[in-house]
Amino acid sequence: MSRWRTLRFDFSAMASPCSLQMDGRDEHVMRRAANEAMAEVQRIEKKFSRYTEGSVISRINQSAGLAAIETDTETSGLLDFAHSLWTQSDGLFDITSGVLRHAWDFKNARLPEPATLQGLLPRVDWQQVERHGNQVRLKQPGMELDFGGFGKEYAADRAAAVLQSHDIHHALVNLGGDLHALGERGLPELQGTPWQIEIQHPRQDTRQTDTPLALLTLARGGLATSGDYERFFIHEGQRYCHVLNPRTGWPVTHWQSVSVLAANTTTAGALSTIAMLKGPDAPAWLEAQGMRYLAVQHDGQVLRSNAATD
Amino acid sequence: MNRTILSLLAITTLSWLGGCSNLGQVNAWDKGNLAKPMMTFEGDPLDQRFVQHIYASKENSSGGYGVGGGGCGCN
Amino acid sequence: MKKSNINGSQTATGVLLASLVLPGLAALAAITPLGAAAENAPEKTTIAIKYGHYNDSQPGWDRIKVDAAQVYVQAPIAGDWSIEASGVSDNVSGASPRWHTQNTALSGASHMSDERKAGDVKVTRYLARAAVSASVAISKEHDYTSNALGLDARWSTDDNNRTWTVGFGSASDTIDNTYSGGSTAINRHKSTNEFMGGVTQVLTPTDIVQFNLTRSLGSGYFNDPYKSYDQRPNQRDIWIALARWNHYLEKFDASLHSSYRNYSDTFGVQSHTLGLDWVQPAGRWTFTPGARYYSQSAANFYLDPILDAQGQYDQQAVVARANKLYGSNQSTDQRLAAFGAITLSMKVSYAFTPNTLADVKYESYRQTAALHLGGSGSPGLDPFNANFIQVGLTHRF
Repeated sequence: MSRWRTLRFDFSAMASPCSLQMDGRDEHVMRRAANEAMAEVQRIEKKFSRYTEGSVISRINQSAGLAAIETDTETSGLLDFAHSLWTQSDGLFDITSGVLRHAWDFKNARLPEPATLQGLLPRVDWQQVERHGNQVRLKQPGMELDFGGFGKEYAADRAAAVLQSHDIHHALVNLGGDLHALGERGLPELQGTPWQIEIQHPRQDTRQTDTPLALLTLARGGLATSGDYERFFIHEGQRYCHVLNPRTGWPVTHWQSVSVLAANTTTAGALSTIAMLKGPDAPAWLEAQGMRYLAVQHDGQVLRSNAATD
Repeated sequence: MNRTILSLLAITTLSWLGGCSNLGQVNAWDKGNLAKPMMTFEGDPLDQRFVQHIYASKENSSGGYGVGGGGCGCN
Repeated sequence: MKKSNINGSQTATGVLLASLVLPGLAALAAITPLGAAAENAPEKTTIAIKYGHYNDSQPGWDRIKVDAAQVYVQAPIAGDWSIEASGVSDNVSGASPRWHTQNTALSGASHMSDERKAGDVKVTRYLARAAVSASVAISKEHDYTSNALGLDARWSTDDNNRTWTVGFGSASDTIDNTYSGGSTAINRHKSTNEFMGGVTQVLTPTDIVQFNLTRSLGSGYFNDPYKSYDQRPNQRDIWIALARWNHYLEKFDASLHSSYRNYSDTFGVQSHTLGLDWVQPAGRWTFTPGARYYSQSAANFYLDPILDAQGQYDQQAVVARANKLYGSNQSTDQRLAAFGAITLSMKVSYAFTPNTLADVKYESYRQTAALHLGGSGSPGLDPFNANFIQVGLTHRF
C-alpha cells in the first residue's frame, strides 16, 4: 500500500491506439489487472477478426453455403445481439454487409464498379443467416459476417469487466475513442470528480481552433463515436466513408459524426453506428431509445440530445 | 430602492454575459468544468457557520443564505 | 425506449436491454451512465469536525476570546433520504457585561455570553429532480434560548440548468438574564419568520449564478439587556437580496467566487457585503485567498457619543440625553452604528485521499468608521480588529 497514482497503459489493438488509465495505490494489482484486460482485448480481436485464420468469424465465413458451425455462448450471445440490432434499426444494421468491402477500395481511393456492387448486394441479408441453437450457417456462398460494428465497443466493456473483477474502481478504458468509465477518478486531489472527456471535432484536421467539440464528465458508462473520418477518401470533392448502407451499398452522408452515451460501450457503439445509418431520422430514433447523443451534421451543424444530466 | 438597483445590476450583468447567444442553455455535454468541486456554492458546511456567527455578533446584518438556522444571543 | 417505473428508477429496453443480456457484460450492471452527480441523495456518509478560535482587540476593552468546537455529519438513508446534523459548543472568555452608561457609550462592547451549545438536524427527501427538507435547530446560552424550524424545497428544470428554491424558517427565542444577576430581561420573547426564494442558473460552461431574496419578519424583545438606556422597536422586518457568481478560469484551472448581499431592515440599517474568493487547486492542495468588504448605515435610533469642548467623552451629557429620550427608541450599541469592515482570509486544504480532507483557514478582520462606504461612518467609534482561525478535518466513507 503506498501513494495514490495514475497508471496509463498504451497499446495497439483493432487497428486503433488504445489506452487503459487507472487511479490506485497498489501498482502490482493495477499492472496485473491491466495486463489481463489487454489480453482480453486481444483475445476478442483474434476470435472475431475476419482476417485471422481460424477465428470464429473466419470459420463461419469459409463455411458459407456449406455446413453449419458450432459456436460458443459468447459468440451466440453476440449473434443474438446483432439480430436485435437488425430488428431495432429496421434492417439498417446488418452484420452481413461486410462483403461490400470487396467493392470499395479505401486504400486506393477508388469508387466501386457498379457491376461489382450489384453483384454483392444480394449477399447482404441477415435473414439468410440460419441459426439453430448454437449453430450458425450462412446460406449463400460468398456471404460474410463482420463484427466490426460493435466488436471494439464490446472489447471495451469486456476490458472494463476484467478490471472490475480485479477490484479496480477508478479506471477509463479507451479503445480508439470508444470509452468505458469504471468509476470516478481516485486521486485524492480530484476528490471524486469523474473522468474529463474531450470529444474531438470530426473535422479537427481542417479547423483553425482546437477547442474540443464537447467537454463532458463520465464516472460510469460507455461513450462511443461513429464518424465519417475514420476511414474515408475524397473523390472529386465528395467524401466517401466506410459506413455503408446495406441496401444501396453506398456510404452514408448525413452525419459527420454521432457520439452516444449509454450504460455500456457496446450499446453506445451500436447506437452510434445505427444513427449514422439512419441519417436524418437519427435524433428521433435516439430520443426514443432514451439515449443522450451529440451529432455533427454534414453541414457542420451540431445537434445535442434534450435529455438532462441524471 | 436597493432591491431595484440589485435587479438592474443583475439584468445588466446578464445582458453583458449575453454576448454568448446560448446563455443558460448549457448542454450536459459541456458541463465538464461545472462539475468540479470548486464550482459549487455550498462548500464546507462548517466553515460558514462559524464565520457567519461571528459576523452576526459584530455587525447588524445576518442571514440571506438560507432559512431555518436558530438565533443566538447576539442582538 | 427507457421507461421509468414507480420508484423513479429506469428500466432498460431496446438496444440497452439487448446488451445487458450478453453473457460477458453481466458484471457491468449499470443502467444509466453517470456523469457528475446532480442533486441526488449523497452516496457517501460525511463526518467533519472543526475547531475555531477567535480573538479580538479594541482599545480600552478586555480582549475577548472564543473557542468553538463543531461537528457535522451527513448520511444517506434508504436511497432517497439523507440526514444532516451538526453541533457546536462555544466558550467565551474575557467578556464583561457592561452596566454603566459610560462603558456602553464609549463604543459599546458587543455581548457574547459565556457558553453556547447549539445543535441542528435536517432531514431531506430526494425526488426525481427535486428535494424537500425539514430542519430543527436549538441554541442555548445561559441567558438566551432559541428554537427554530425550517422547511425548504428545491427543484430543477429538465436540462438541469436552473434550480428553484423556496424556504420558510421560524424561530422562537427567549431572553432571560436573571442568571447573570441582571433584572433587565426576565423571560422576554422574540419570534422571527423568514421566507426565502431563490434561483440558481447555469449560464455558460464556465459560469453559474445564484439569486436569493429573503424576507424576515421579527417581533418581540430586541433590546440589549446589558446596556443601560437601550430601547429598540419591538418589531424588525428585513429584506435581504443575495447574488453569487462562480466563474471557472481554464487558464489557471481555478474558480473565482463573487457575492454581493444587500440588507435593509426597519431599524434603518442598510448594509452591503461584497465577497470574493479565488479557489486554486494545486495537486492535493487547494489554496483559497479571500476578501470581504462590509459597510452598514446606522440604525435610525442610534445615538453618537457626545464629546465636550476638549473633545473628551461627556458622560453627563450622554446620561442627560438618555433620560430626556427615555421611553423612545435609543441605543449607543456600536453594532448599530455606521461603519465599514474588511476581512482578508486564506484557506488551505489538503486531500490525504479522495475522501479525507484537512483544512486551515485564517481570517483577519478590521472594522472602523472610516471604512464606511462613502468615507465617514459614525463619529467616536473605536476601531476594532479580530483574528479568527479554523482547523478542520472531513472524511467520507
